[in-house]
Amino acid sequence: MANPSIQSGVLVTLEDLHPSSSFLRQGASLRVTGKLQEYTVETAIAIICHGNASLKIDTQHLRDLSFRIGSIYQFIGELLIQPDNESILQARVARNVDGIDLNLYQHSIQLLRQFQADHMKNAAT
Amino acid sequence: MNKNQIFRNTHAKLLAFDLLSLTQTPNFSSSDPISFSRKGVSLSRAEIVGVVTSCEHKANRFLKFAIDDGTGCVSCVLWLNHHSSPYFSRRNPVDVRLIAAMANQWASEIKIGVVARVRGKITAYRGEVQITVSDVVLERDPNVEMLNWLDCVRLARNCYDVVAAFK
Repeated sequence: MANPSIQSGVLVTLEDLHPSSSFLRQGASLRVTGKLQEYTVETAIAIICHGNASLKIDTQHLRDLSFRIGSIYQFIGELLIQPDNESILQARVARNVDGIDLNLYQHSIQLLRQFQADHMKNAAT
Repeated sequence: MNKNQIFRNTHAKLLAFDLLSLTQTPNFSSSDPISFSRKGVSLSRAEIVGVVTSCEHKANRFLKFAIDDGTGCVSCVLWLNHHSSPYFSRRNPVDVRLIAAMANQWASEIKIGVVARVRGKITAYRGEVQITVSDVVLERDPNVEMLNWLDCVRLARNCYDVVAAFK
């Protein structure tokens, strides 16, 4: 299947992953989007950025994806916080999203979070 | 029409977390063993859009895959047993061949990382809500997912919740 143990990747922007962020948890399943800044074939490590934020992505488990510097990619995976406190996303799903409206994307995530919070609040009352 | 049944034949556009939290009620009088409702309103079909994050293909039996829309992960099952299932043996063989060809085409296109719009019947497997697939469209526009989120939020607030409030 559809393995029930596979978690949904929580939608976050790279700016959301600041040092005191609640999203920054060991093993957290996240979906991140950003422009490819660097890619090293030998290590399969990519760096994506958006605004002033960037994130390392371990792409060793990905197949059939070519990396082009400057293109926009979306990754779903689990966050690994290393002993030196550097975060790296171990990607299990990726896609090229050139053409995405990142401004609308950020606003949509905010609206979605508000809707989910309202829904949970109403369900609890 | 009873307002409880107003969406009976509609593919409700729901976010995954909303779909996964539908109320399940055992149904003793109908052919469907479980009925599903959202805030007291019955739903039987749903449409979701998201990234395919897992796939299990059993040739001539089924394709099971997961759709992750960023709010949850929904299991989907696309049956591929049209030529062996007693359900289809009662139907016109020409129709069955066309349905089987379509399902096999979708099964060949669904891969980890693609964005799919899936429609189907809401069912349950081991207590978890899933979709028994009747239609698949692969989406190539990278903005489609967020437009779907906005559509789902609008429909939930202005349509599904409104009907539930007046029930």
